[in-house]
Amino acid sequence: MTEDVIEVHELTKKFGDFVAVDHINFTVKRGEIFGFLGPNGAGKSTAIKMLTTLLHPTSGSAEICGYDVVKDSDEVRKHIGIIFQDRSSDDYLTGRQNLDFHARMYGMSKEDRERKIEEVLDLLELKGKEKIKLHNLPEGVRRRFEVARGFMTSPDVVFLDEPTIGFDIKARMDLWNQIKRAREIEGVTVSLTTHFIEEANYLCDRVAIIDKAKIIALDTPRKLKEAVGSDLISLQIADGGERRATFMEKVKELDWIKRVEEYSNSILLNAESGEGRVADLIDFADAHGFVITSIDEHEPSLEDVFLFFTGRTIREAEGG
Amino acid sequence: MWGGWYGKMDVQEVTHRPLFEGEPIYSMWLRELIRFFAMRSRILATFASPLIWLLFLGIPLSQIFSSGASQSVPGGLSFFAFIVPGIVSMGLLFGGTNSGVTVLWDKEFGFLKEVMVAPVRRTSLMIGRSLGALTIALIQALATLGIALILGTWLGFRIISVAGFLLAIGFMIITFFAFVGFGLTLGALIENTEGFMTIVRMIEFPMFFLSGALLPISVIKGIPVLYQLQFINPLTYGVDGVRGLLTGVFLLPAWLDLTVIVAFALLFLFLGAYAFSKMEVD
Repeated sequence: MTEDVIEVHELTKKFGDFVAVDHINFTVKRGEIFGFLGPNGAGKSTAIKMLTTLLHPTSGSAEICGYDVVKDSDEVRKHIGIIFQDRSSDDYLTGRQNLDFHARMYGMSKEDRERKIEEVLDLLELKGKEKIKLHNLPEGVRRRFEVARGFMTSPDVVFLDEPTIGFDIKARMDLWNQIKRAREIEGVTVSLTTHFIEEANYLCDRVAIIDKAKIIALDTPRKLKEAVGSDLISLQIADGGERRATFMEKVKELDWIKRVEEYSNSILLNAESGEGRVADLIDFADAHGFVITSIDEHEPSLEDVFLFFTGRTIREAEGG
Repeated sequence: MWGGWYGKMDVQEVTHRPLFEGEPIYSMWLRELIRFFAMRSRILATFASPLIWLLFLGIPLSQIFSSGASQSVPGGLSFFAFIVPGIVSMGLLFGGTNSGVTVLWDKEFGFLKEVMVAPVRRTSLMIGRSLGALTIALIQALATLGIALILGTWLGFRIISVAGFLLAIGFMIITFFAFVGFGLTLGALIENTEGFMTIVRMIEFPMFFLSGALLPISVIKGIPVLYQLQFINPLTYGVDGVRGLLTGVFLLPAWLDLTVIVAFALLFLFLGAYAFSKMEVD
């Protein structure tokens, strides 16, 4: 059960001088949901395209179920299902025809096709919609048909590139639960890319945070958050500027402060967890003649993890 | 230890794709037909288009030529009988070229990506697709001939023999594939899909006009360049072949028609298949 189904070694892709994916390494175990989290343009999609044989790596290697993505690309294709980021189904065909067409391409027999279609319709809760042409269906349902198609050939690994982009919250939650259920029932390994913090947090067993073509952190969401600190406190100091800088120096004297960062006009503190941290900080500021104008304590999220490792938020990274 | 060479055998096992992949080809063919019959406007156009050409161009033009100048249509054909094979060939030119070119369309709409990651030969995808388009083009050709035969009772068009008809169908198939290859090659040469169809039209229409489909190629004998252009246009040979087999009147040697169209088909199918196999999906 702990067999590695994806093994990636020093995988690199360059487009001319531009390095899209820079020497990444990771393994994914059977049955895991593994996520790439990062801003748009970080190299997630390029990485997934190499794993799914659509792009050839510049250097390094990747194996899916023991097959090399370049040398045994046909074998790799037989073992994977792919849900692309953009539309990749035939609008003029019904959902069922799209599924059937896909299965034929993989040489499935008529009985297998019909059995499996029923199964994936069930899995993605699409029963009753399979006879409607896709262009008459809302985007979320269309998308679910594409996800269903990814499971048609009973693949060992399913790749999803930004599965819930353009979804409303309800549709997103539904699909997340459907993917989790599919993993339970089919025992499939799932590898996905996302720039939604919540998606990675809710769905993934392990997350690789990718920024500027490199994996900068890789672990379970919980461990990643623990690395940031048990408690996060953000606060603002009256009169900002100089005073803030002085306070940032001063506060390091407290032995339970693990890290101090400046972010926008706030100071972000990583603290060892303990009782009454906020009160202690206010007392500390008082004692040294600082006035705290606002203070807020929260559990770290993956957003904080990204901020911790890159010094900026995912939104900022996308804007830049 | 002793098990070692068993393991080695496993590693050396190479997966072979069959040369002929029936199921994927059939699937692609089926998809083309389902799409065709799913769009009522396309079905309508298939029958309306030849009707429009024959009624609104064929009948008026045949009035000019029937008024005394019987010499202008060689071989003693009525003008209407002369242009029927031309209209049929036009369907092959447009249908074939579009089929090749629209590979790009699928690329734009992402569908190609889906089939490109299937463990199937790209040439099988191409063959299946082209066979689908061929089926539709032949439906149109038969519709055109059907309409022409009805109008022909007044306007003097009839098919010379059953053998001629069957041979003409065969010749149409070769001509069609020649233009599929042509379209694929065009599609591969022009990467940008914006305004692409306009460029394709700009190539297709002069080919159609300078092919002897509507007027005998000898009409412009005195005009340099234009006259010669007709002889490097593959459709000229396609039209002449179809016309010869249907009506018995060849304006060029039959062997030349066949040779040129076969050579053209082989050349462009090869180029097109090569371009398609190299196409990157991103």
